[in-house]
Amino acid sequence: MNRFNQLLTLRIDPTRKKAFTYLGKTYQGAEGDTVASALYANGVRIFARSLKYHRPRGLYSLDGECSNTCMEVDGIPNVRAENTLLKNGMAVKAQNVKGTPEKDLLGFMDKMSWAMPAGFYYNTMHKPAMIWPIALKQIRKVAGLGKLAPDFAMTGKYDEIFPTADVCVIGGGPAGMSAALSAAENGLRVIILEARPWLGGFFEYRVAEYQNEVPLYQRARDLAKQVADTPDIRTFTHTAMVGAYSNNLITAFQIGGANDSFDQRYIEIRAQSVVVATGCIERPLLFDNNEKPGVMQIGCAHRLARTYGLLAGEKAVFSIGHDLGLEAAIDLFDLGLKISCVADIREDGQDPGLVEIMQRKKIPLLRGWVATEAHGKKTLNKVTLSTLQGTRDKEFSCDLLVASAGMTPVTGPLTLAQAKLAFDNHTGFFLPTQLPVKMHAAGRMSGLNDALAIEASGRCAGLQAAADCGASVDANLDEARTSLESRPGPVKGSKMVTAPVKGDKTFICFDEDTTVKNIKQAIEKGFDVTELIKRFTSAGTGPGQGGIPGHNLPLFVAQYNADPDVSAKPTTIRPPLVPTFIATYAGANHDMCKRTPLHALQKKAGGVFRRVGVWNRARYFSQDFTCRDEIDNVRNNVGLFDASTLGKFKIWGPDALKALQRVYVSDMSKISDGKIKYSAMCNEDACLIDDGVVIKRGKNDYYFTTSTARAGATVEWIRYHTRYDGWNYSMVNLTDAFGVINLAGPDARKVLAEITDADVSNDAFPYTGYREFKIKNTIPVRAMRLGFVGELSYELHAPSSYMPALWEILEDAGSEFNIRNFGLEAQNVLRMERCHVIIGAESEQRTTLHDVGLGFLWDRTKTDAKTVGAFALKQTEKQAGRLKLVGFKTEDSDARAPRDGSIIVDTKIRGYVCIARHSHTLDEVIGLALVDESLAKIGTKLEIYEDECGDKRLYAVVAPTPFYDPEAKRLKM
Amino acid sequence: MENIKRVSPVVFKARPVKTEIRDNWAVTLEYDAEGPGPYLIDLSHRTRWDVQDGNLDEITPWEVAIPETPGKSIMEKGFLINRMNRTQASVWHLTGEQPDAPDGPAYTETTDATMFVALIGRKTYAIAEKLTSLDLANPAQKTPFLLQGPIAHVPCQVVTLAQSGEHCDILFTCSRGYAQSMVGAILEAGEEFGLRPAGEAAFSKI
Repeated sequence: MNRFNQLLTLRIDPTRKKAFTYLGKTYQGAEGDTVASALYANGVRIFARSLKYHRPRGLYSLDGECSNTCMEVDGIPNVRAENTLLKNGMAVKAQNVKGTPEKDLLGFMDKMSWAMPAGFYYNTMHKPAMIWPIALKQIRKVAGLGKLAPDFAMTGKYDEIFPTADVCVIGGGPAGMSAALSAAENGLRVIILEARPWLGGFFEYRVAEYQNEVPLYQRARDLAKQVADTPDIRTFTHTAMVGAYSNNLITAFQIGGANDSFDQRYIEIRAQSVVVATGCIERPLLFDNNEKPGVMQIGCAHRLARTYGLLAGEKAVFSIGHDLGLEAAIDLFDLGLKISCVADIREDGQDPGLVEIMQRKKIPLLRGWVATEAHGKKTLNKVTLSTLQGTRDKEFSCDLLVASAGMTPVTGPLTLAQAKLAFDNHTGFFLPTQLPVKMHAAGRMSGLNDALAIEASGRCAGLQAAADCGASVDANLDEARTSLESRPGPVKGSKMVTAPVKGDKTFICFDEDTTVKNIKQAIEKGFDVTELIKRFTSAGTGPGQGGIPGHNLPLFVAQYNADPDVSAKPTTIRPPLVPTFIATYAGANHDMCKRTPLHALQKKAGGVFRRVGVWNRARYFSQDFTCRDEIDNVRNNVGLFDASTLGKFKIWGPDALKALQRVYVSDMSKISDGKIKYSAMCNEDACLIDDGVVIKRGKNDYYFTTSTARAGATVEWIRYHTRYDGWNYSMVNLTDAFGVINLAGPDARKVLAEITDADVSNDAFPYTGYREFKIKNTIPVRAMRLGFVGELSYELHAPSSYMPALWEILEDAGSEFNIRNFGLEAQNVLRMERCHVIIGAESEQRTTLHDVGLGFLWDRTKTDAKTVGAFALKQTEKQAGRLKLVGFKTEDSDARAPRDGSIIVDTKIRGYVCIARHSHTLDEVIGLALVDESLAKIGTKLEIYEDECGDKRLYAVVAPTPFYDPEAKRLKM
Repeated sequence: MENIKRVSPVVFKARPVKTEIRDNWAVTLEYDAEGPGPYLIDLSHRTRWDVQDGNLDEITPWEVAIPETPGKSIMEKGFLINRMNRTQASVWHLTGEQPDAPDGPAYTETTDATMFVALIGRKTYAIAEKLTSLDLANPAQKTPFLLQGPIAHVPCQVVTLAQSGEHCDILFTCSRGYAQSMVGAILEAGEEFGLRPAGEAAFSKI
């Protein structure tokens, strides 16, 4: 196909070829082509088949407003070929076809449309209910928009940026650029988002005069240069705005160019003020076969020629409702398109200048006429026109029908920002009745058509936005308003929706194959609200996000219902406004996780790491995931465990004790010097949320630990529960400041004694004791005698930067005692043998202090501090029907351990297994479970049901706890 | 003890060419092939304190007045002091010899609680905006100023030390445990701008 290569408006470089493949053949496009324009240039007219009826679909809008040109590009389905710039080597495939787009084996579906009225699957496939799952699979096989393998991995680089702006302008047309320039003149930082790869909007391709013989496209380029030369304006082209959220948070995504480091990037802009200058799209004209390849919108045909150098056909008919149609007809005629006729919906009101030119060029103009049917087997070959009343008709042979009912504003950004729209009788647009705070609309979207008025409205909006940011703009704003008022205002718009046809094959939504007949069927079934009709017929629920039916659907419903006020509202739209890859939203997707100070050493020692909350922790130190050797070594020698993830806090000040009393259930005034105090925190419902130890380091100075999971919430928790008291205390989160090593096992004391001069004998440093001393006279440690794993053990808290050194010192000193690492899984088994609970493992949201047997911690006598949860503790202490924590052993000691989380059943669910393991120490399967109180008695048989176990059950018996060292002698040795 | 060293949470995949031991810290002064910048510099060995008191205005760390307004910072006598809120400030020691620990219950040393890095040189704002929505180059703010918020989704204290055009010097701290993830994210974000690790000497030049 020959292309224009000398037009000044071109955005392609025909001298620079790009090769791509389609249907197994290699084609050539030009640099600057989209995939769609390149295919069109190579004679492709049918790009895809429609969702339901497999009707041929072709180029229609050029801006991706419907799924007509959704194709598979480089393995990625549903790529909008109209918006995708051609790259060398691209592999393009048609989708939703069995065969080829030209010969689709499922093309017969079009003849079955009579069997598929609106909501047919609701009527035929839901009763009996068993039909639906079967039918669903078959429907999905036939319909759909591309296929993606479950293991498909996106290639490419997906990035993200979070820029800040004073003013964000959505739309880089003349109004948007004018707004941006006005705001930037006031010293503000401005961002422009433009969906196309260049600025200019609807000036950009037009040769009509702007002013003083300067064509519109030249004006667009002049404005774009001004923008580029303004340092405070940052322009993102090929960037689709997709979301608007509270406080002017605007989201968008940008498609990367040849020189960008990304393929796509997500953009999140926080702006003080927003200008929406997104212009208009064309409102489709509804007539029979209105989506047949060969039928396209005015802008599509015009831009195809002016931007991409392609005449869309040889012989054309126009059926339009706006002066842009007349202008396009004249321009395309001048470029060589034969025009049989221009049918204008409007009986009057055309621009006399354009009419005069048409007369001069002998382009026939039929006022008050409209296309009623597009003919042709697969592509267009003939058009029927008729009067608006359908009283007379004419037929014209042609291969191009340029059709448009009028304009409709792109109000998506406003709607996302919660602007309410109402029908405007003059423009025929749905316009905002009130704009959100610090959001302004400008340009064509308000109905303006005059070039200077559009720019003036942009300037007004830009200055209003500047005022939002605190700039003093009064004088300039008055001037801009005067300038705007001196120009023509919004033009009267066409309200025609559908030609005088029955509507059997008149498509109101291309994406979902929804016809006018379908809408009528829905209305006749009693659906009178557009939003419900949309749901019932699927109109506007496809990838085009309602771009095609968005305006016509409510208008048609209003007209069909003879609603004189057109009170129907446009249907809801939601982000993303434009289909966006999940990969783009994921962005760089940095895996932000925490490492303990001992991470590298544990990795070197063969640690197998697992993600636990925000932390990466060593779970095992061998491939034996039962951890038998690790456990045995702790029970018989001595082990090292990295407990650095524990929450650690300093709280001090005159009222620090009061704060502790408020959140801990125990009487914290009873903390003895040199001793630790174990206690727990509950929420207001008496449910257990945390446990840990508290140490008094000095007057009004405490150090306490929390569980790993609660560390991030502890400061806020304490502040929240003391917020009205005006207490004077301070807190610092030291979780990362200190690492923690648990030195545990019968030889732990011997190891510790080798590396410190402090007296660590049982008398000097007894169980539950707390000491501060130095290791090797250098490393300061805070040492606690605890026994979480059921052995003599020391928890050594040391500054994180010293932790690797401390670990190596301990390993060195412990080598003669066979010291070795143990990981999280070994710790889990060791502590379970002693029945020491982990909050979150042996408790859940409903579990109270008493349920897990920790009721002894609660001091009910401390009334002055209003302990959080104390009131509820009184209520739940003896409450019947609660789940209680019990220990259990399987009946058969050779049985395998039930899986964590398995449920305990009889005729009903009676509880669940919190943890169960085979204990090497005890050589039996033991576990902890939360069970119905009625099953909590020692000796009760528990029936355990595991996922997909069928009729097989595991059985266990409630057993006395602790399982290991019940007299706690080993802790105190 | 001679062999006991303090270890920074930040590890760069670059070869140190000039190092020194300072207060048990192994400090890298220069890495191989640092290039022209921008630079990412580990300052985690630099001592930092949290200052908290109901009467913060009466506290003058090393005789420097804490800024009155939250979000304001002051650089004086080698200390960068950042007012965080009504009762809290952070103090980062940036230049000079290791100072003595201050007296008083208001101070808590937090050197080991956080990682501390500097992002300096050209295009640093372009790098930073790939990681955070914080307005680090806000022309309305007088440098140095403090922002508290997420970088790469991790809560941070960020101070813009200086800015001029596309040149911006940023210091920030976050929980020590995130150090390697954070450094990885920053270096990846800065790859297209030539960001490289640099030793402390590069920071001393600014």
